[in-house]
Amino acid sequence: MAPSHTVRILDGNTFVVSEATGDIEATPTEPTGLFSIDTRFLSKWILTVNGERLNALSYDDLQYYESRFFLVPGLATHYVDAKLSIIRERAVGASFRETITILNHDEKAVDLEIRMDAGCDFADLFEVKDEILNKKGEIYSEVEPDKLRLGYRRGNFKRETIISSSTSARYDPNGIAYTVHLEPNEQWDTAIDVQTVALGPGGKDLRIGLSIHGHERLALQQDLDEWIAKAPKVNSEHGQVSATYQRCVIDLAALRFAPLSLGGQTLPAAGLPWFMTMFGRDSILTCLQTLPFTPELSATTLRILAALQGARFDDFREEDPGRILHEMRYGESAAFEEQPHSPYYGSVDATPLFVVLLDEYEKWSGDVALVKELEQECRKALRWVDEHADLVGNGYIWYERRNTDKGLENQCWKDSWDSISYADGTLPPFPRATCEVQGYAYDAKMRAARLAREFWDDPAYAEQLEREAAELKERFNRDWWVADGGYYALGLDPDGRQCDVLSSNIGHLLWSGIVHEDRAEQIAQHLVGPRLFSGWGVRTLAEGEVRYNPIGYHNGTVWPFDTSFCAWGLRRYGFAEEAATIANGILDAARYFDGRLPEAFGGYPREQTKFPVEYPTACSPQAWSTGAPLLLLRTMLGLEPHEGHLAVEPRLPVGMGRIEVLDIPGRWGRVDAFARSRLDLDRLAD
Amino acid sequence: MADATTRFFKDLDRRGYDPLLAKSSGTLRIDLHEGPQTTHWLVRIDRGEIQVSQQDMEADAVIGATPALFEGLVTGRENGLAALLRGDMTLTGDARLVVQMERIFPGPQHAQGPRRYQKGVR
Repeated sequence: MAPSHTVRILDGNTFVVSEATGDIEATPTEPTGLFSIDTRFLSKWILTVNGERLNALSYDDLQYYESRFFLVPGLATHYVDAKLSIIRERAVGASFRETITILNHDEKAVDLEIRMDAGCDFADLFEVKDEILNKKGEIYSEVEPDKLRLGYRRGNFKRETIISSSTSARYDPNGIAYTVHLEPNEQWDTAIDVQTVALGPGGKDLRIGLSIHGHERLALQQDLDEWIAKAPKVNSEHGQVSATYQRCVIDLAALRFAPLSLGGQTLPAAGLPWFMTMFGRDSILTCLQTLPFTPELSATTLRILAALQGARFDDFREEDPGRILHEMRYGESAAFEEQPHSPYYGSVDATPLFVVLLDEYEKWSGDVALVKELEQECRKALRWVDEHADLVGNGYIWYERRNTDKGLENQCWKDSWDSISYADGTLPPFPRATCEVQGYAYDAKMRAARLAREFWDDPAYAEQLEREAAELKERFNRDWWVADGGYYALGLDPDGRQCDVLSSNIGHLLWSGIVHEDRAEQIAQHLVGPRLFSGWGVRTLAEGEVRYNPIGYHNGTVWPFDTSFCAWGLRRYGFAEEAATIANGILDAARYFDGRLPEAFGGYPREQTKFPVEYPTACSPQAWSTGAPLLLLRTMLGLEPHEGHLAVEPRLPVGMGRIEVLDIPGRWGRVDAFARSRLDLDRLAD
Repeated sequence: MADATTRFFKDLDRRGYDPLLAKSSGTLRIDLHEGPQTTHWLVRIDRGEIQVSQQDMEADAVIGATPALFEGLVTGRENGLAALLRGDMTLTGDARLVVQMERIFPGPQHAQGPRRYQKGVR
């Protein structure tokens, strides 16, 4: 079965990936299962009736945390003769709960042997795409009168899956079974509860006291209803924009994640299914995108990242004092230090972006208390930029991994191994620096200067930061400008040679403000020009570059999140028309995915494919793709906090009609914004 | 007994303040179990102000470990969060306090930190 036919439900970082029948039969190519805290808790979950597998007539994703499957026994050709219907309903909350209903449509009574095969390999999330051969611990299965206990033990590390039925059942080491007699038109029900347990030696679960909300179905529903009610309302003349917005608000609710040990506060996790954890970069960028709509995510993200800010040097985790984390994981490989995610700090953009988010959050919320609360963390982050990130000693942020085994080679958002190259296609040596990160550093200093002056009562520090930022801007415009192309280089190598390819990163430079005014026009024209703009969005690497490939992960695909920041950058420098053009491309593309934009899609020209080609292994929903339509709404409407008020300066794409955003929260209370596009004169003439 | 753990707590008590704990308040008890014997350390944190004693009393958070593991933590050989995930260190009560406290443990002794680039030296 193709991955796109898998069914996913989740709550926090507990989630289920299954086949369309509801069955789970995990393989490296189809890594289905019940997962929690980065561990698989069920790798086999197969329902049979009289020894036969079932077939799906249909399934519904009722909500992000529940789904329902309608099944019949036998092969597809036998559907017409089906005398039995089987309905599986499941939900994830604190536990995974499945209700099975069987209806006998025959005029005769039937005797049924119903069986659920259950098994687990307790794979770490990092192992699920490999054959799991040599687990270092012991897997066991214990049958008790009223439950089946599947477990994994390695030293004090213990994970268990406890399966129990609401009706009487026979438990054996490989599953549970029922013998059922059904009269004509009679039905039978049972509920199976699957608990995931992460035990320490004291017998206490690691996750105690961590629920985001109650885990009963009603509580989950109520929580989602409240989340939706609290978010602004978007109405659009063309229903698609508001439908996309609604999809995004619900997906953001699903992507909320409460890290262990931080008291149930939530932040946006990076994406389902493999990235249901906190990532510094993804969480911060998603918060920046969604500030006008769900500002509460920003406050918790800032607090959580501050609480885990680096405090010492650790080469395995690439931790430095002041550095903001990259990724946190809770599985076996992190526990036994086979992977460095406890947490791992190998990113160079999360640290300046942390400062950027705090300032942007204050502009919207007026939450001065948080700015004061996080003053020391901001100062430490900026000190990290100057003291620990400048590996070459020339005033830029560089990276070179210290964990040469498991660390990331490229520590910017384009983190695949071949994402940074010279125009001839070869890869530069380390350390490397990428342009957008220098922009973030500039922006962080400018924004921190405002915070220092207005809230930290330190005008001298503000002046120092502004001076440093101005020097950085000068230096950057000298060293990174590719004169014959009219754009900024993607990267620099340690000897100062430019990685002189044209890339989407220049859009982030506009957003940061580091671009000289007299060069902005050239950058804007590149972003909407044929080499970068596909018609759907901005390609990560321009057509015509040696490494350009329309389905190259960071070498030619379009990432909706990336394009949304390009649009914000264009708007910042006054290119409202250009911003609207690329916003329109992404919002059009969203229609093909029912409002749920994937991580990336192909960079093929729009006129060639007519629809956006999804990148094969893209993660979905993904937080910053979910945030992209929200940021595009902000840029199209020109929403900007200004001296305590919300300024609205709309510039919609031609033909978009009317859009209204109601109840935008902020320091102003709640206000509405209205916009209307110019008429599409071409269409009128038709 | 001048082992590394004792030195760590004595030093913490002498310093009396750690900026990394400036946002934390509460009591944290460390129970070090070895056979039938348990050694207790009690750390009172009041917005960064720290007092250490060996009282055995109720606390907002309690962590349990072997003396050997804890010595590993205070000398930078072991990582606290990994030890918690592994189950080698147990935790009851306010997890936030423990996560904050963990940050004052030193990093690995031989950590090099970021390496400055020098042309021709690689």
